Amino acid sequence: MAEKKLSKKALNSGFHRWYYGNLTCFSQEHMQTFGYLCSMLPLCKELYADDPDKMAESMDTYRTFFNTEPQLGAIIVGVTAGLEEARANGAEDVDSETINGLRAGLMGPIAGIGDSLVVGTVIPILLGIAMGMSGGGSPMGAIFYIIVWNLFAYFGMRFLYFKGYDMGTKAVEFLVGDIGNAIREAVTTLGGIVIGAVSASWISVKTSFALYNEAGEAYMVLQEKFDSVFPGLLTAIFVIFCWWLMAKKQLSPLKVMGLLVVIAFVGVLVGFFNPGLAY
Amino acid sequence: MSINIIQAIILGLFASLSSMPGLGGTSIGNYTLGRPLVGGLICGIVLGDIPTGILVGCAMQVVYIALVTPGGTVSADVRAVSYIGIPLAMIALKSYGLDPASAEGTALATSFGTMVGTIGTVLFYGTATMNLVWQHMGWAWVDKREYDKLPLVDYVFPWISHICFSLIPTVAMCMAGEPVVNLIKEKLPMDGIPMKTLFTVGALLPCVGIAILLKQIVRNVLDFIPYLFGFTLAASMGLNLVASTVVAGLFAILIFKLKMLELRKPAAASSGAAVDNGWDDDEEDI
Repeated sequence: MAEKKLSKKALNSGFHRWYYGNLTCFSQEHMQTFGYLCSMLPLCKELYADDPDKMAESMDTYRTFFNTEPQLGAIIVGVTAGLEEARANGAEDVDSETINGLRAGLMGPIAGIGDSLVVGTVIPILLGIAMGMSGGGSPMGAIFYIIVWNLFAYFGMRFLYFKGYDMGTKAVEFLVGDIGNAIREAVTTLGGIVIGAVSASWISVKTSFALYNEAGEAYMVLQEKFDSVFPGLLTAIFVIFCWWLMAKKQLSPLKVMGLLVVIAFVGVLVGFFNPGLAY
Repeated sequence: MSINIIQAIILGLFASLSSMPGLGGTSIGNYTLGRPLVGGLICGIVLGDIPTGILVGCAMQVVYIALVTPGGTVSADVRAVSYIGIPLAMIALKSYGLDPASAEGTALATSFGTMVGTIGTVLFYGTATMNLVWQHMGWAWVDKREYDKLPLVDYVFPWISHICFSLIPTVAMCMAGEPVVNLIKEKLPMDGIPMKTLFTVGALLPCVGIAILLKQIVRNVLDFIPYLFGFTLAASMGLNLVASTVVAGLFAILIFKLKMLELRKPAAASSGAAVDNGWDDDEEDI
């Protein structure tokens, strides 16, 4: 029997189905499982065109729950495409259990790296730059983000999918290995600095508190005192305070938001905050 | 400014594309159309005022700059933030006559948008629950080996969930929003305590968005230094965001090179003598 080889067309179709459909039919119970099934469908159909029982066995493999970060997760889908091809060619050490063991073993670490790298760093950096280009309401920034992010996501996912198919689990080692770590650390620092600049540019927490002398002149304007220590000090304090509440006190973001409403209300009552508007 | 039914339906379609299990897919839908900055552009185009849309989008983007997953770290839903919150905030700004570029305009937009976004979490659970019906049908087809019907489950039927939980709620809230905004304006004067609180909350809320992001980056206190460095670049040195990113890029390269050197060290150490000579040469040069 001739060696079975997945056609470029089937692989492309599998990739595009994952690229688009990884989360389109989301539920709390199955998350990305259907996206995965639909992505493997064209591949399995090609490999098992003449054998409905093997086709059923193969599709049953992908009924198992799957959820990871979809962009980096493309590499897992690619790896299983390669494994499925090996199974169709009768590789003895590849069965449903090894494939699912691999999927279950990889989806956690890839989700962790993907969430912090893609959603937690790359997207905020791009958004930060884009917001810098949006001064005065210019659409330049939004257009920049749309183009750069989508090229990055499409070609990045494509690269990962085909790397996974070609190299198998070795491709994953690159992501979690030393060079991958070095890249992550560099990108995280970049992200930290950009986010600092975003905070200083777009958040403005100011106090209206001041002390007046008998003639009604302000002799102590608290905001000026703060700014002479470190420009934007109050903003930085509030950001770090929110971080402390969530990271050290384990409060949920919604509770922190609620607490800020209380702080704002009390602050307005005592005259610490005053937007100074009227009509 | 008001929203007619056609505009509301267009916004509803974008809401269907952009939500977390959205029909634009994660890359194009959630991570592009769902970001408030892009939502601001689209709302600006649909409502005929691009600059206001962008500025409101930017204000809201800071709050939702980190990972936004309903039921996850932030209890909010991007379809509601971007396609209900932004249009309503734009109406509110016009109605109050505030400049969207001012700190007050940003604060008002942020508190309006965040409120709507938090309520929008309901839409997420609605969509995800309804998708269970299609998945149930899908499993039956897998059992019967009717695999060709599976793409219907992943690509077609979820539209029904989104018509119920994205399109219709967006249309309803956008249409009902204008009278509500006007009612608030009538009942609550801007120099009263409730509105002062609302503006102040709007200025404070973005701190939460940034803090969620920091939670991912900061492992120990020293990790605050890059953040404060970036803060200083913008606040004290007056660099804009693009310039700050260039400076940040230099540091990223330095760190990458240092890390790579660190990796090479153990390999070099094992080839003993050659390394010793290398060090000796260096010292003679000095």
